[in-house]
Amino acid sequence: MNRVLPFLFVGAVLVAWEAAARSGLWSPLLFPSLGRIGGELASFLSKPESLGEAWVSLARALGGFALAAAVGVLLGIVMGRSRFVAALLDPLFSGTYAVPKLALFPIFIFVFGIGSLSKVALVFLECLYPIVIMTYAGARDVHEKLLWSARNMGASRAAILRRVVIPATAPFIFAGFRVAVPVAMIVVVITEMVSSADGLGYQVIYALSSLKTDRMLAIVVVIAVLGYALDKAVVLLRDRLIYWEKLDTYYV
Amino acid sequence: MVIARAGLLIALLLLWQLAALRGLPEYVLTPLQIIQSLGEALGSAELYEHIRASLTRSLPGFAIGTILGAILGLAAGVARWFDRLLTPAVFLTYPVPKIVMLPIFMIWFGIGDLSKILIIALACFYPVFINAYYGVRQTRTILVWSALNMGATQGQVFRRVVVPSASPMIFAGMRVALALSFIVMFAAEMINARSGLGHLIRVAENSLRFDLMYVSLATIAILGYAGDRLVRYGQSRLLAWREPAA
Repeated sequence: MNRVLPFLFVGAVLVAWEAAARSGLWSPLLFPSLGRIGGELASFLSKPESLGEAWVSLARALGGFALAAAVGVLLGIVMGRSRFVAALLDPLFSGTYAVPKLALFPIFIFVFGIGSLSKVALVFLECLYPIVIMTYAGARDVHEKLLWSARNMGASRAAILRRVVIPATAPFIFAGFRVAVPVAMIVVVITEMVSSADGLGYQVIYALSSLKTDRMLAIVVVIAVLGYALDKAVVLLRDRLIYWEKLDTYYV
Repeated sequence: MVIARAGLLIALLLLWQLAALRGLPEYVLTPLQIIQSLGEALGSAELYEHIRASLTRSLPGFAIGTILGAILGLAAGVARWFDRLLTPAVFLTYPVPKIVMLPIFMIWFGIGDLSKILIIALACFYPVFINAYYGVRQTRTILVWSALNMGATQGQVFRRVVVPSASPMIFAGMRVALALSFIVMFAAEMINARSGLGHLIRVAENSLRFDLMYVSLATIAILGYAGDRLVRYGQSRLLAWREPAA
């Protein structure tokens, strides 16, 4: 029974959906049947140009995320190891943390243009916060004894950073990545829905305005799978790199 | 150290203001200009209308999502069959950007406020659910055993041990949810609305009213900051018994 339960809920939702689609109570615009969504999904996946749209979105998300990861890890480690830098930057980050950076998007459009750059810049900004905050927390709390021992044994500053600080911070860095990756997808999809002529977010809005609900839902499925796959990729990478510590937070 | 705290922020603002002397592009207003246009906008009724419209979407959405997330998360944390039933589906859909559901919600619930409130509730549900769930799971067994040993009933253990020990996590989830509620509200209003701060920034963008753009931006920033402070204040009041977290 326990093995069946997880599938029970998902199965019940799917059955309810199909029942609603077939009942004829609602127009197929509201509840397109699973078969039609699957058909649209198959035609989406078989066309190279729609795969191109998915790639555009993915490239924007990954580009912004990669920039944020590089800058964020650097800032977080420096903040964690230098009181002065922390005192300088921490008020800036914690003060603007709760502010929705998305509101900057219209200004970013003027500064960076309506192409990919404004979207990548916004993804970078939104991803930077969780990465910096998590890395900072990790780098600040590196065990004193480890640092003392390394210094005692004559390790140079660079060696301490590479062999002690970074490995000790790594689980926190990946916790930050884990928060930032879904954020990157959210921001890309939103910005493409608001203002774009390509990408998956635009395709969703386009399908909606042409009242092709089945096509819209097929693209939603594609976005969902991408979001899920990116998250899994971060977890896989984490488990490869941080083999000495098991991930025991969140998900199974 | 003390000077460094606010120092960088002040220095940045000063630099920004001074940069205007050398001439900034039209779309970059100086801090003083922003404060001035914000002051003007605060004197008119229009801005308050937009704020009211935005808050009537984000606050009910936040409330629904948070309450459902806390209740279901606590339930999944204590009841194993419920955990097996619901948690995998929640974790499976967690990394999916919830905003993509907005067009579907618009078709189901209309293009009015209801679809926006529900999409905000959906986005807020996840962090609160996950945190409540892990908060319960992290309850120290020794506390539960002690309570049972001293003759507490199941209900008492839940009310007096499990919920208090999960509440710091729930509050942490609420902070995340509040920030999300503003993001999703703003996004939903930018995509499709006739009022609200997200709508205001779109109108300003289309008519090249840069002052209005910054007014909307500053307002949402202040609201987001104030909301976060409010949650933190509530947390410090309600969880005063707890040792302050680092």
